Amino acid sequence: MSINFKHIEDKLKTEAKKLLEQGKVSIVLAYGKGYDDHHPMPYVARNAADVGNIVFNEFCTANLARYLVRYPRGTKIAIAVKAADSRAVIQLIQEDKIKRENLVVLGIPVSGMKNSKTGEIIDSKTTCGLYNPVLYDILLGKEVHGKSVISPYDVLAEYEKMDKDARWDFWKKELDKCIRCYACRKACPMCYCDPCFIDQNKPKWGEKSPESHGNLMYHLTRFHHLAGRCIDCGECSRACPVNIPLYLFHKKVAKECEEMFGQVAGMKIEDKPTLVNFRVEDSDKILE
Amino acid sequence: MSSSNPYIPIPVEISKIINEVDTNDIKTFRLTFLRKEDEKRFKYLPGQFAELSIYGKGEAPIGIASSPTETGCVEFTVQRAGTIVPGLVTAALHDMETGGKIGLRGPLGHPWPIEFLENKNIVVVGGGFAFTTLRSLINYMLHQDNRSRFGEITVIYGARTPGLLLYKDELAAWEKRDDIKTIITVDKGNETWTGREGFVPAVCKEVAPSPYKAVAVICGPPIMIKFTLPVFFDLGFYKENILTSLEMRMKCGIGKCGRCNVGYKYVCSDGPVFSLAELDELPRDF
Amino acid sequence: MLKKTAINKISELAVQLMQKGTLIAPVQEAAGFNFREISDAKQVNLNFHNTILSPKAAFFPQMEDFVQYQTGQSIMEAVPVELNVKPTFLFGVRPCDVKSFEIMDIHFSGTGVVDPYWRARREATTIFGYAFDLDEPAQAEEFYQTLGIGAADPDGSDIFMIRKGETLLLKGITPKGEKLLTQLSRLADGSANEEEYFRNYISRGRDFKTRYTCVDDKNIAKKLEDIFDNGDFWMKVSDACLSCGVCTFVCPNCYCFDICDETLFGKGTRRRVWDACMFTDFTLEASGHNPRAQVFQRLRQKIKHKYSYHVRKYGVISCVGCGRCTRHCPVNIDIFSIVEEAMTV
Repeated sequence: MSINFKHIEDKLKTEAKKLLEQGKVSIVLAYGKGYDDHHPMPYVARNAADVGNIVFNEFCTANLARYLVRYPRGTKIAIAVKAADSRAVIQLIQEDKIKRENLVVLGIPVSGMKNSKTGEIIDSKTTCGLYNPVLYDILLGKEVHGKSVISPYDVLAEYEKMDKDARWDFWKKELDKCIRCYACRKACPMCYCDPCFIDQNKPKWGEKSPESHGNLMYHLTRFHHLAGRCIDCGECSRACPVNIPLYLFHKKVAKECEEMFGQVAGMKIEDKPTLVNFRVEDSDKILE
Repeated sequence: MSSSNPYIPIPVEISKIINEVDTNDIKTFRLTFLRKEDEKRFKYLPGQFAELSIYGKGEAPIGIASSPTETGCVEFTVQRAGTIVPGLVTAALHDMETGGKIGLRGPLGHPWPIEFLENKNIVVVGGGFAFTTLRSLINYMLHQDNRSRFGEITVIYGARTPGLLLYKDELAAWEKRDDIKTIITVDKGNETWTGREGFVPAVCKEVAPSPYKAVAVICGPPIMIKFTLPVFFDLGFYKENILTSLEMRMKCGIGKCGRCNVGYKYVCSDGPVFSLAELDELPRDF
Repeated sequence: MLKKTAINKISELAVQLMQKGTLIAPVQEAAGFNFREISDAKQVNLNFHNTILSPKAAFFPQMEDFVQYQTGQSIMEAVPVELNVKPTFLFGVRPCDVKSFEIMDIHFSGTGVVDPYWRARREATTIFGYAFDLDEPAQAEEFYQTLGIGAADPDGSDIFMIRKGETLLLKGITPKGEKLLTQLSRLADGSANEEEYFRNYISRGRDFKTRYTCVDDKNIAKKLEDIFDNGDFWMKVSDACLSCGVCTFVCPNCYCFDICDETLFGKGTRRRVWDACMFTDFTLEASGHNPRAQVFQRLRQKIKHKYSYHVRKYGVISCVGCGRCTRHCPVNIDIFSIVEEAMTV
């Protein structure tokens, strides 16, 4: 299946223009030109004239849901979303960070996106592997049929072979690479805490230095803050300048949440976030 | 710089603690040097600041409240800071007792330009807690060795309530002297307050110090500064003759850590003292 | 004096340098190349374009310990951390990065209070500059040429290295470098032919084109000052910015740091740690007031610091066009595109 990116770009422009001209939204979160064709950037169109700057190509990977919480509550926003991005929108609605009625969701069915840094195809190894947005008002293009060849959890096979000690060693080694630039949390649509726990000084949860204990404190806490909330877009891993495979932990926790509570993050607006929703029939496995 | 390594504090002992205000959150700490050589090296002038340092808590930049004419010790008036961002250092300091030992790093920054102030009439305007380095300046100018170097000295000092006035004994002493005109005001008095009531900018307007051969030295909360600067400008003071001291979050205090800049100036090493003329050159925002 | 060695014998040179002191050189890691202290001479690898992190950490490590203390102890018992700097060899630094050291010198040791750590490390270090490969086009992110830095400029290096096929040519640039070269017995003498190649390469490097940007430091500085209050512009260019710290951490010229007291199980260290003006809490005051609470204010600060304030204060742009910030930005923000756009406002 080949994706007609030009077609999507045109439709995105058309819809954005319409929405802005009709005053239905005050901003459109989309993608725009970067310093070359391989490096598009998130772009905010504020009026019909801006719309001409919108682009969409295979390198438009950024999850724009990240920017939703930046605007004052009540701002009418149109947002271009791919599959995982739409799940972030749903999760943010569940968590009451944004209201459904303030959003126009422009869904983009797409497969075969590429990492602009490495040129690698992005698939279910680092993302949820869905092709079609879960939530949208307007679909920009045709739904992609068929299922991803591999499930989003297949990549865990090697990881799950490791025993507890090996996993601990694995993460210690990986997290030792961290330089604490915080690109992961800033690229994450679900990391909206202000201040982030790691920036607090009373109580001080972790050190600022990029040393083992502080790094573990930051990442392990962040991993768990995202339990049942991570929508598997993989942006954290792509943002990381030192290639820490953060997606592995998030996928593992997502998988366990799914197995234990039968719920996948960001799939239904009506859901409550997995870990704040107590149901009598919930598995007790988490307590074991 | 009093140490060969500008990042390492020198040890000092708290020799006296004075509770300055009725809300108990502002105290003056008198610090004495634990090593003679440090005392000799700690040469400062009014307007400079230093980092008070408590290992495990951090450092806090505080203006020096004593005058260099008082030897053997150095004083800092410290407010217990931070409800939103807990001020770890000031809280720890407030919990300490006489005899406690802390670190001191400084003196830092530029002082009030003493030579520039010489032979001029000095109008000192202070508001609230920001009176500390002004107290240093006043005591410096009033010292018998220095008094003749300065013209008339007028002090206009205000606080929100009588209980929040700092250095009450000294204020009373200044009011009795005839070589300094002292005007104390509070925003709102109480049943025992017999003095003046009114905001600092309004009092400045009323007192209307002459701009002739005069320099205004102004410190206070941002809102007071904002309304006081135009008063002096309108009175005819040149912008070069209106001085103030800025505050920004600082860490190193020596212009290296890149934090406290306003435009191309670092508040710590290029300031904290600036004239209104200099401030006009800088961006209004940070 | 020109010396040479075969590229595949680099590790022998590395061994000799390691006998003389600390060797810091590019090594290949999972995410790409980085400068690391070498423990095994075989790690040294010159088959890189440029490193992820700049080599500034050789002089300004991400963590620098000042003092060690213990909870409950008096300040009198706190122990300043001695800076025992061994002779250090910083090997394989690209010309733009070498230039960054000179710019950082102005800040850390050339003006005001001297930073003892920067100075000690700088003085103990011999820099082996390494020309870019002129047969390989510059990367899209790089613009060092338009900042006046040649792809093979030896200025600032003690020893400068140029690769000629499978041979590495080394030439002493400073007396310190010259002296060291005579002590490195593993090196052979270069021929007259190679001397000429070396000279020509340097001048070819000056014409080596990186991405074109119109640079006039005084104009940029002034223009950025003029548009400080143009909120719409700054808002627009920061729409995409995530406000993370990647750009500042990979930058060879970013020097902001925090001083932290880090205590663990009663044992503590006061140290400085890299900080970033892009972080929300960078300027957060104890009162809760934050003069740069919004993303656009922080990005404006970063850009103005490099291209305006730094020019006003120190006379030189705080950027060498290495392109790291752009290359590693998670959302592909390109700092110089913003500056160029500013010039047209």
